Amino acid sequence: MAVTRRGVLVGALAGGGLALGYMLRPRSYPLPLHPHEGEFAFDAWIRIGADGVVTVSVPQVEMGQGVTTLIPQIVAHELGADWRQIAAEPAPVSARYANLALAAKWAPLWMPLVPSLADDPDDLLTRRWAQDEVFDVTADGTAIAAYEAAARAAAASARAMLAQAAAARWNVGWEECEVANGFVTHENRKLPFGPLAAEAARYSPPSTPPLRAEPMSERAGEFPPGAPLRYPRLDLPSKIDGSWTFAGDVRLPGMVFAAIRHGPIGRRTFLSDLDEGAAKGVPGFLRTVRSPEGQAAWVAAVATNGWAAEQALARMEPGFRVAAGADSDAVDTAMDEALHNARAHRIHSAGDMALVRDRLPIQIGYEVSPAIHAGIETAAATAWLHDGKLELWIGTQAPQAVRKTVAAALDMHLRDVVLYPVAIGGSFDRRLEHGQAVEAALIARAVSKPVQLTWSRREEFRAGLPRAPVSAVMAARPDSEGQIAGWRARITVPATAREFGRRLLHGDAPYDALEAVALDADPMALEGAVPPYAIPNLAIDHVPVRIGLPTARMRGNAHGWTAFFNESFIDELAHKAGREPLSYRMAMLGHDPRLAACLQRVAALSQWGGGSDASGQGLACHVIDAGGIGGRIAVVASARREAEGVRVDRLSAVVDVGRIVNLDIARQQVEGGLVFGLGLALGCAVRYAGGRPDSESLAAMGLPTLADCPAIEVDFIESREDPADPGELGVAAVAPAVANALFSATGLRLRRLPFFAEDV
Amino acid sequence: MTRFTVNDRPVQFEMDPRTPLLWALRDAANLTGTKYGCGVGDCHACTVMVDGAALRSCLITLAECEGRFVTTVEGLSRDRSHPVQQAMVAEQAVQCGFCTPGIVMSAAALLAANANPSEAEVKAAIPNLCRCGVQPRLVRAVQRAAAVARREEKIDAAPPPGGSGRIPALSPKGDTP
Repeated sequence: MAVTRRGVLVGALAGGGLALGYMLRPRSYPLPLHPHEGEFAFDAWIRIGADGVVTVSVPQVEMGQGVTTLIPQIVAHELGADWRQIAAEPAPVSARYANLALAAKWAPLWMPLVPSLADDPDDLLTRRWAQDEVFDVTADGTAIAAYEAAARAAAASARAMLAQAAAARWNVGWEECEVANGFVTHENRKLPFGPLAAEAARYSPPSTPPLRAEPMSERAGEFPPGAPLRYPRLDLPSKIDGSWTFAGDVRLPGMVFAAIRHGPIGRRTFLSDLDEGAAKGVPGFLRTVRSPEGQAAWVAAVATNGWAAEQALARMEPGFRVAAGADSDAVDTAMDEALHNARAHRIHSAGDMALVRDRLPIQIGYEVSPAIHAGIETAAATAWLHDGKLELWIGTQAPQAVRKTVAAALDMHLRDVVLYPVAIGGSFDRRLEHGQAVEAALIARAVSKPVQLTWSRREEFRAGLPRAPVSAVMAARPDSEGQIAGWRARITVPATAREFGRRLLHGDAPYDALEAVALDADPMALEGAVPPYAIPNLAIDHVPVRIGLPTARMRGNAHGWTAFFNESFIDELAHKAGREPLSYRMAMLGHDPRLAACLQRVAALSQWGGGSDASGQGLACHVIDAGGIGGRIAVVASARREAEGVRVDRLSAVVDVGRIVNLDIARQQVEGGLVFGLGLALGCAVRYAGGRPDSESLAAMGLPTLADCPAIEVDFIESREDPADPGELGVAAVAPAVANALFSATGLRLRRLPFFAEDV
Repeated sequence: MTRFTVNDRPVQFEMDPRTPLLWALRDAANLTGTKYGCGVGDCHACTVMVDGAALRSCLITLAECEGRFVTTVEGLSRDRSHPVQQAMVAEQAVQCGFCTPGIVMSAAALLAANANPSEAEVKAAIPNLCRCGVQPRLVRAVQRAAAVARREEKIDAAPPPGGSGRIPALSPKGDTP
């Protein structure tokens, strides 16, 4: 059945005008942030003080990606403000800031049957859903796509209102006034924003915001090495003196500290042993709190400081029982079985299916192990239940989901759960999960005091969910010229994105989410699987699999494995065809000059020598397409074998992310993505037995350090295309580039992530 | 009761003397700039200076601090003027900022002992884990800080906090003129 957008709207009309009226009625939402004394609000985005300080609301959580600078920068540019007068403030949860771009991208999660009805941010359905749900998630690099237009419009309107206030004083036409560098000017008269703010706020915003001709844009050519930053990050000064606040840094009067132990990851868990008496002697110990009956088991200790709480738990030696605990041997078996036997969903096809049927002349298998996020900040939350309200300080990518979960757990009204957004210490999508919120709230209710819960590192390993295991059989049919006539990817992966969607949007417990979508097709789990190359006959298959281990999102997401499969495989095909890997790729990129340009530029940047003769150079490229906005990257890695494993000496990357709002932040994101991806290529793997991970320390994760970090150089292609997210490209492209480099260096293909020491 | 000096102030902690310094600083002294990342010495996010040496505060107990001089990131300077702080901001060698205080303290201890560290010396002195990936900028930032400390360069990248230079945790109510 083909359901069209028009069909649904007409259907709604036929069914009753009420439904359509409900859908179409414009709604207004109150201003989320009230101006302080001496401050004046301009829309939901901007407040200007009598002192001239322009405070910008930032509706996305800062976790290092720079959004606390990007949105204010867009406003400052459009407004004509002085960057030194700009302040940023995290916006509270509000439908005013619904993330329509992400709602559209994640339509398969909230509208799995017909996501095509809502896959455009302009869809009425998408707007209504995102506003009704107060869908304010920070994820998938959507901040600019979601908020640039609204922030710009607010700033343009505020600029017009400031100009009108000044023009009235000077008795001139406001259109003749200019606004730049924090001043409104007309001929030789000028006024700063501060004295104008009160008068300006009384004007009505113009019906059409008078946007500047050019949106905010920083071009690579404007910033030679050592050039000063035009828009330095706003968050850094408070990050180098310790005053930047994370959830675990909140301090409240009379606050107590909680530590926690979780049961294993499994279908059902129970606290079976707890020697409560053993904690009595711990100075500062107050009490224990246990998880509610019938839910995933945990026990917390509360004390006057966090170490005492940990000590109390250690002495009480909590023991857990688990039914159907996650087990990596079982996961491996399930993956193997599915790869060879299970039914596949064809999620993409093009050309003649006869050419990609059955066994193809070249078939190669690749694998990706479950991996953990290993952010340095562990889960933390501060909660205080008093006067019928729960106040919660937490770093989360999904604030409204946290409020809903907590309200349900404490049987409270949603309006009585107040969430203060706090910055995150490196999430990498780990903070799309928020188990610590309910735990902190339940503990706060039990102790009737403000309480701060911080997970120990071990608990972060034990109760954090890994990214999914994935395996692929990549198959190709070369044509007589050595090009590719047919390409088929058969990718076995649990429906990990759908499963996450159930947890986030429906509040499912992890194992319920697992069951709800177990054998469903999950195109989001295969994003990036369609290769960027012109291949006439193409089939992409998803083999869903039940592995008994819940899985989570992680920076890069599906691109973290699809780029590895595609770019390793294409390199093998080039080698088999006796072709040079760069020109082999270029020959199939006539339709994508932007990606071809990245490849050419990276070849020059890295002094690409063709990757032959054991040079140790390897190449990879990838496209991340989000609703037609595509980011592109090409990477050359130089790597070699060493006694202790793999040594990556150098990474060169050329990136095309369209127009760039802040060049140095884009550079940070690419550099960081490469380093994060390197961590996933060389480590971060975890195995489970009885629901417990085999590693519980950061030292065992093989994380990149300063000493073994390769030299990294990043170049950007200048472009006026719509801005794409630079944050995940590096993660995707680095693993295959290093694998191909190691093939060049050693003649050995590494077809498993991470590259285990025994493979090298 | 353990007595020692924190950021130039004499302090006594009414805590179990076996408590690691990290929790005393964070949970009792409210000096939350020093971060907990692992508690076992892997991540170095809790690095502070003890008698000038960069040490992981999760690995030393209050008892072991008796009589010593502890400096945390809050006490490194009162106005973000330490060369390492300025250089980290100027080079934007910071992303989420969670590992940053530890890196700042490792680098500050290095510069106190070595006015002109080589690339290899910087790499050896900063074992801190950073998952956002600021590593490509750290050597440059620390060497630039060294140049500032040697008065060969000036940086004015990070303005003093709130205009007053007052850090609340260091200056409790009524403590400032």
